[in-house]
Amino acid sequence: MKNILFIILLLTYNARATDIKNDFQSANQLYQSGKYEQAIKMYEAAADNNQLESAELYFNLGNCYYKLHKVAPAIYNYEKAKQLAPDDTEIETNLDFARKMAIDDIKIIPKVGFGKILQDFTSSFHFDTWAWISIVFAALFFLFFVGYYFSATSFKKRSYFVGMIVMIIGVFIGLFSAYFEKNRLQNENPAIVFAEVIVVKSEPKNASQDAFTLHEGAKVQIIDSVANWKKIQLADETTGWIDEKAIKSLRD
Amino acid sequence: MKRLGFFILFLTQFAFAQVKFEADVSKNSLGINERVRIEFSMNEDGDNFNPPNFEACGFRVVGGPSQSISQSWINGRSTFQKAYTYILLPLQKGNLVIKQATIEINGQIYKTLPLKMTVGNAVQMEQERNPNEAPVVNVDNNLYLVADISKANPYVNEATTVIYKLYFSNNIGISNFKEVNKPKYNDFWSQNIEIKKLEAQQGIFKGQQFRYVILKKVVLYPQKSGKLELEPLSLDIDVQIPVGRPNIFGQYQMGEDTKRVSAGSKIIAVKPLPESGKPDDFSGAVGNFDFKVNASRTNLKSGESLDLTVSVSGAGNLKLFTLPKPAVPSSLEIYEPEHKENIQVPLSGMNGSVSDKYTIIPNEKGNFPIKGLRFSYFDLSSKTYKTITSNDLMITATQGDATLVNNQKATNKVAVATSKTFAFVKQKTNLVVRNQPDFLGSGLFYSLLGLPFLLIPCLILFRRRKEALDADFIGNRIKKSNALAKKYLSEAKKQINNKEPFYIALEKAMHNFLKAKLNIETSEMSKDKISQLLLNKNCNQLIVNDFITLTESCELARYAPSSTVTIQNDYEKAVEIISELEKQIK
Repeated sequence: MKNILFIILLLTYNARATDIKNDFQSANQLYQSGKYEQAIKMYEAAADNNQLESAELYFNLGNCYYKLHKVAPAIYNYEKAKQLAPDDTEIETNLDFARKMAIDDIKIIPKVGFGKILQDFTSSFHFDTWAWISIVFAALFFLFFVGYYFSATSFKKRSYFVGMIVMIIGVFIGLFSAYFEKNRLQNENPAIVFAEVIVVKSEPKNASQDAFTLHEGAKVQIIDSVANWKKIQLADETTGWIDEKAIKSLRD
Repeated sequence: MKRLGFFILFLTQFAFAQVKFEADVSKNSLGINERVRIEFSMNEDGDNFNPPNFEACGFRVVGGPSQSISQSWINGRSTFQKAYTYILLPLQKGNLVIKQATIEINGQIYKTLPLKMTVGNAVQMEQERNPNEAPVVNVDNNLYLVADISKANPYVNEATTVIYKLYFSNNIGISNFKEVNKPKYNDFWSQNIEIKKLEAQQGIFKGQQFRYVILKKVVLYPQKSGKLELEPLSLDIDVQIPVGRPNIFGQYQMGEDTKRVSAGSKIIAVKPLPESGKPDDFSGAVGNFDFKVNASRTNLKSGESLDLTVSVSGAGNLKLFTLPKPAVPSSLEIYEPEHKENIQVPLSGMNGSVSDKYTIIPNEKGNFPIKGLRFSYFDLSSKTYKTITSNDLMITATQGDATLVNNQKATNKVAVATSKTFAFVKQKTNLVVRNQPDFLGSGLFYSLLGLPFLLIPCLILFRRRKEALDADFIGNRIKKSNALAKKYLSEAKKQINNKEPFYIALEKAMHNFLKAKLNIETSEMSKDKISQLLLNKNCNQLIVNDFITLTESCELARYAPSSTVTIQNDYEKAVEIISELEKQIK
C-alpha cells in the first residue's frame, strides 16, 4: 500500500516536473516576445508558489523586472540568483546594469586584514560543499591509514603517515570553513529597499530625527529589529532604523 | 561735609528764594506723527538761555521759541515766571533724550534735567492742533490718507494688495509730500508697485466730492497665519490752505502748512492653509499652476549631456516656493540647476514662470529611469490641494566616446566593461525545492564524517584476529586436511562407478582425515603408528581395525577386480568409519 502511494507520488511529481519545465520554457518565449509582465507570472508559476527555486529562475525574473524598469524587484531577484550561483558572471553583469538604475550611491568601505582573507577563502564554496570536502578528506584519511597499517617497509609507512596527517588537516580545514561560512551566512541578513523613497530614522520611532534618505533598490544589512522597525547598516557603515515594510529581506 | 553743603543751600533759599529752572514737556510718549511742546521755565530772569540741540536729540523744531513772562504781586510778594516754549516734532522712533538747557541767572549757570521721550508708531490723530492762526478751512476734514486692502482675510501665501490713497478736498492744494515712516511689512513678502506719475482723480469720499492720488501700491503675500498688523504709513504733506479773510474778489489768501497724516494701522486676518488633504511634498505653492518636466533628449551616448527642465508656470506665489528636485540614478551626473524666473508682478499678484534647468550627463551606458516629479499646490479657486505628477522619463545611454572616461565621477559602481552587455534570459534550469535542510550538521553528515574513523578500530581488530589465526600453524593444517578429506570423500562419491579414481580419492580422503585428526604428516603414516595414535586417542579397537583394513583394501582394490557392490560397500564403510572416528577423537 505504502509502495503504491509512493509510486503515485513519484508519478505526479514527474508530471509536475515536466509542467514546470514547460512553464519555464513558455516564460522564456514570453520574455523574448517582450511580454515581460506575463513572463513574470509564468516564471512564478514555474516556481510553484515559491516552493522551487534556481539561480536561473531568479535571474530571468530579474531580467523581466529590469525591462519593466522596476529597480527594486530586479535587484532583489539578481541578488537572490547571486546567492545561489555566486560565480555566474552574467548575473553579476546584469546586477550591475540594474544597480545603475538605483538612485543611491553608497560607498563601500573595503574590508582589510586577516578576517577578509579568511572570508575570501571560506566563501569560495558553499558550506554544504565544505561539508562534502571534509567527508572526502576523512575517507582519504582512512585509505591512507589502511596503507600505513598494512605496508611493510618503513619508507612506505612514513609516506602514508605523512599523507594521513595532510588528510586530517584537510578534514579540519574543511570543517572549520564549513562552520565559519555557515555562521557568516547566518549573521548576514541582507535586504533590498522596495519603497520608492524612505526616510531612515535615528531611532525606532516615527517622531524621531531623520538620519538619511534611501531610494528603492538600495541594499542594506539588517542587524537588529524592534517591533516593526529594523536596524539597518549600509555598505558605508552608517546605520539607522527603517520601517520593515519598506524593505524585503533576501532571506525570505 | 555733604550735610554742611545742604545746610548752606537751605540758608540761601531763605536769603534769595530758590532759583528754579525746569524743563517740562506736554507728554513723554508720543507717536511719530505727534508734536510735543517743551517749556523751559524759570522764576528768576536770566541771560544767555541756551536751548539743547534738538536736531541732535532727534527732534525738529516746528514752533518757537516763544517767550512768555509773567510777574504778579500777591500780598506784597512778587512772583516771576519766564518761559521759553518750543513745539517739537520727532524725527525718529525710539527712546530719545532731550538734553540739558542752560541759563545764567545771577551769574550762576543753571541746567535743566535731561528728559526721556518715547516715540512710538504713528497714531491716528483725532484732533490736530494747528499752532498757526486759525485757518478758514480745517485741514483735518479735507485731507485723508486711506489704505485700501483688497482682501482682509486671505490665505497664507495668497496675494493681497494695499493701495494708499490720499484724499484731499477741492479747496486745498498739495505742493509736496514726504514719507516719514515707511511701513515695514513684517511677516509679509511685499512687492512695491512703482507709480510713475501721480495723477489726481475725482472720487467720492465720506459722501463728499474729493480728489485723490494713489500714492503707493503694494502686493503682499502673508507668510504666516494669524492676525498680522500692517504698520501705518505716515506722510508729511505740505498743504496750501486758504487763510485769513477773502480779498475783495472773494479769493482767499493761500497759506502754507505742513501736515502729517497717517493711514491707520490695519489688521489682516490670515487664514492658514487647510491641513486636511495636505500632500507630504507640499512646498507652499498657492495659486493656479501648470507643472512640466522636459528632457531635451532621451537617447544619447554616455558622456553627452542632456538638459532636464523643471518648470512651473501660472499665477501665484511663484517666488515663494521651491521647485521639486529630480532624483536620478547615481550613474547620471547631475549639476546644480540654472534657476530662471520670468515673473511679472501686477496688482493681481505674481504670474509668469519659474524653471530649474539641470544638466545631466550619463557616465555609463544603460537605461536610467528618472521618476516622475510631483508638484503640489493649493488651488485658491477650489480651495483644495492639487498635485501634478510628471511622466517618468527613461534616459537611454549608448556606448560613448572612451575619451570621456576621465570625466567619470568616482562611484562604487563596478564599471561594466565595454564587452559586457545585458545578458539574455537563461534557457535551462534545474529547479530545486526551496529551503532544503542543510547537509552540514545533518545526521548523514555526521555519520559519513565519523565512518572512516570508526572503521579504523574495526580494521585493527580484524587484522589482529587474522594475525592470530595465521599464527595458529597446526590448527591451519588440521583445518586444511579436514577440508581435503571432505573434498576427496565427495570426489570418491562422484567416481563411484570408476573403480580406480574412486579408490584413489577414498584413500586420499582417509589420509587427509588422519592428517587432520592426528596431526601427522603423510611421511609418518604407517599402519602401526596410525593404530597406536588412534588408540591413544581413546578410539574403539574395532573401529581402528576397520580403518586399517579399509586402507589396506583400498590399496588392494586399486589393482584387484571388484564389483560395483563392493565399491558401494567400501564407500559406505568409509563414511561410517570416518564419522565414528570423528565422534571418538575429541
